[in-house]
Amino acid sequence: MTLTRKLDPAAWQPEIEIVSYRLDNGLQLFVLPDARVPMVSLQLHYHVGSRYELQGITGISHLFEHLMFRGSETLGPEEFSRILQAKGGEINAFTTRDHTSYFENLPAEHLELGLKLEADRLANLKLNEENFQTELQVVISERKLRSVDSPFGLLLEQLFATAYTQHPYQWPVIGWDQDLKRMGLRECLSYYRTYYHPGNLSVVIAGDVKPDAARDLVDRHLGQIPSPGAPLPLKVKEPPQRGERRAVLKKVAQVEALFAGFHIVGMDHPDIYPLALLSIILSGGKSSRFYQEFVRPGRAVEMEAEIAPPPWTSEDADLMVLTAIAAPGQPLPQLEEDLWAALARFHQDGARPEELARAKKLLRAQAARGLAQNFYRGLLVGLFHLKTGDAGRVNQLLKLYEAVTLEDLQRVAQQYLRQDNRTTVTLKPVSPEESQALGEMV
Amino acid sequence: MAGYVPEIQQAVLPGGLRFLGVEYDRVPWVSITFMAKRGSEADPPGKAGVADCAAEMLTLGTGKRSQLELATDIEARGASLSSRSGWDATIVGLEGLAEDFPELMATLAEIVQTPAFPAEEFPLLQERRRAELAHLLDDPREVANRRFTRLFFGDAPYGHPPTGDLETLKNIGLTDLQDFYRREFTPADSTLVVVGMSSFARMTEEAGKAWQGWQGGGPASAPYTRAPERLCSPGLYLLDRPDLTQSEIRLGHLGLPRSHPDYFALRLVNYILGEGGFSSRLMSRIRSDLGCTYGIRSTFHFRRAPGPFVISTFTPAAQTALVVKEIKAVVQEVKEAGVTEQELAEAQSYYVGHFPLGLETARQIGSRVVSMDLYDLGWDYLQQYRQRIQEVTPDAAREAARKHLQPDSLTALVVGPAALCAKDLEALGPVEIIAQN
Repeated sequence: MTLTRKLDPAAWQPEIEIVSYRLDNGLQLFVLPDARVPMVSLQLHYHVGSRYELQGITGISHLFEHLMFRGSETLGPEEFSRILQAKGGEINAFTTRDHTSYFENLPAEHLELGLKLEADRLANLKLNEENFQTELQVVISERKLRSVDSPFGLLLEQLFATAYTQHPYQWPVIGWDQDLKRMGLRECLSYYRTYYHPGNLSVVIAGDVKPDAARDLVDRHLGQIPSPGAPLPLKVKEPPQRGERRAVLKKVAQVEALFAGFHIVGMDHPDIYPLALLSIILSGGKSSRFYQEFVRPGRAVEMEAEIAPPPWTSEDADLMVLTAIAAPGQPLPQLEEDLWAALARFHQDGARPEELARAKKLLRAQAARGLAQNFYRGLLVGLFHLKTGDAGRVNQLLKLYEAVTLEDLQRVAQQYLRQDNRTTVTLKPVSPEESQALGEMV
Repeated sequence: MAGYVPEIQQAVLPGGLRFLGVEYDRVPWVSITFMAKRGSEADPPGKAGVADCAAEMLTLGTGKRSQLELATDIEARGASLSSRSGWDATIVGLEGLAEDFPELMATLAEIVQTPAFPAEEFPLLQERRRAELAHLLDDPREVANRRFTRLFFGDAPYGHPPTGDLETLKNIGLTDLQDFYRREFTPADSTLVVVGMSSFARMTEEAGKAWQGWQGGGPASAPYTRAPERLCSPGLYLLDRPDLTQSEIRLGHLGLPRSHPDYFALRLVNYILGEGGFSSRLMSRIRSDLGCTYGIRSTFHFRRAPGPFVISTFTPAAQTALVVKEIKAVVQEVKEAGVTEQELAEAQSYYVGHFPLGLETARQIGSRVVSMDLYDLGWDYLQQYRQRIQEVTPDAAREAARKHLQPDSLTALVVGPAALCAKDLEALGPVEIIAQN
């Protein structure tokens, strides 16, 4: 390839090369070779998140993610991170409603070390009561940070707890405070045995590696770990909402705010593509409808219509969340009325062709930018596989967005952004004294 | 030299503006950055936020296009524009698909060269900022960061948040923004950087077309380079927030300028002290051993003049004093006993191994190039980087820790519920209660 061709945008191919393998113990492996930077992103996606929990042990998936760093038969607490970081690695993990993902972005020459240590903590995790208790305190501090003391954490929790009545998306990934406080090491270990084995694991290796060599390495380290097979799939569905639900949360705050959630679809559903474009038309960028109507004139600090676009969409039906943060002195009821009026106009008139074109180009641009990073390429493939069973769909993504029509946009707006399908939670600011009189915030 | 280390090419454009370009072939992207080498440190006294407001004002209309036309034209290309001021520089960046490079370059030039400062936009900008600043008071982390900056530096040029605050916003008029622009946006003290899927020859041609006639203003204000003569007295300060369940904690003292010869040694020491995640002493002690926090980090803010060294964490309120005490003990220990050879070797191999990860995207490369230029790090900086890290000896690291960590000079700010933490804090020393502003 000549330099000129390499620097020609028209010659660029967005497709991700995906080589997939399945080991005898059920482990699913995807290798995404790309030799331009001498690094790899090693990702282990366990198909377990907060949706697999039960009342009483909410937060166990996320707590367990923390415990995976607390040592094995041979390694002390946090030694896993120290060893790989000392090789230049970026080590972290995250828990969502649907999966728990561990990753190491590290120099390609240390891929085997990464696999060896991942296999070690999968097969030989060692936990005692003392380090369990320490980590539990860390998670309790994290919950206070993210939920209790953050401006809108409790509000979002209330939104999901109100919008979902039967589906486990009703509780937060971090768990309820009282569940965290009552949970024991024994429950965590039983959870570990059910969900942490190769039959429930997808591994992605993206970067400077040859596919067959990567497969051999994975087989050498993870291939011998036995698996009882994939856990039974948990089929659960939130019943259709039959009328708006409203709730109020009072806390010390400078501003009034409103969060409204509309039940939409999960990642496997084709409507996710027009919904993602719709959210951009409503509030993506400064030329968007909401910015021009509400934020620019200083009526709202923030006015957003957000969905988690693929690959971040949840596996089961998610919410589109509208956030309205009123500017100080702006009455929230008026802002809310004008927000619903803006949606009603969209129901009536739909989008203009140039709005749809802008949203499509924005997604195309974001895709191109994201593909520069092995980490992101790996996440795309791993999460599409996990949530739709079809890793190859990542290479159709731009076409799926491109195919969306103006009619699709109007239809999804009318179908999902309806009052009966809506849950609205408002934040009412109170003084510190009133807040204290309302009882402890947990 | 490995192939992934970008080659920086340079040219001087006809109007005298320095131009730096990097050919980038990973994805069809282009990142264009204009930098004026003065930032929020050049805000006039009592008018914190001028530089950042001026930066935003540039995007709100030019001689040719209104704010809506600009936003629509840029976003129709899927591109994104950002314009803000930080310490030491004001940066206007536009990035998007490489297929739109000529239009993006022309648009950025139009924004920087011909801002209209429309009078009708200014009250709206003020209104938006007033709302944002009020809303920030609901975020304890922001409150702590902003209050610490003011407390520590007082009236010195680094003593306010770049976005200003509710008090100073009232003092700012449209002419202040125009004055800042006319003074600080000049080819003599600015640089244009392009990283993208394009040949350097083509970049230079487009840059030349767009910038050749630009005279700009000037002369720019004198660069701020010296530490302030007076700083806040070390000690314990408490901002009472009865509505919080945790305390936000900041401890800091004066750090070093970016040009200091101990830069690499101190980066390594600080990685071991508090920047290296689970490899750091602070994380080990405060999180892994004591379970007192989810996160803790220490940072030397290296700027043109000495920036602050700050340790940031949070903890359930009842543990506040314990955490403050433990942090000081860890800093003391690193100052006195230094770091081990193994810790140093691991910190070095972290930075060396991790180096390519910071060069994957055009934006990452662009911001590296911008800071090389802003702080005169030399054009071979990226080539030399790993060697400079590896050259630091255990003695040099120990010496840097001994010289530059000042546990006895720490200013500690707690933002949290006094009812749950004040008494224990008083056992550590006198506590001064301070107000929100």
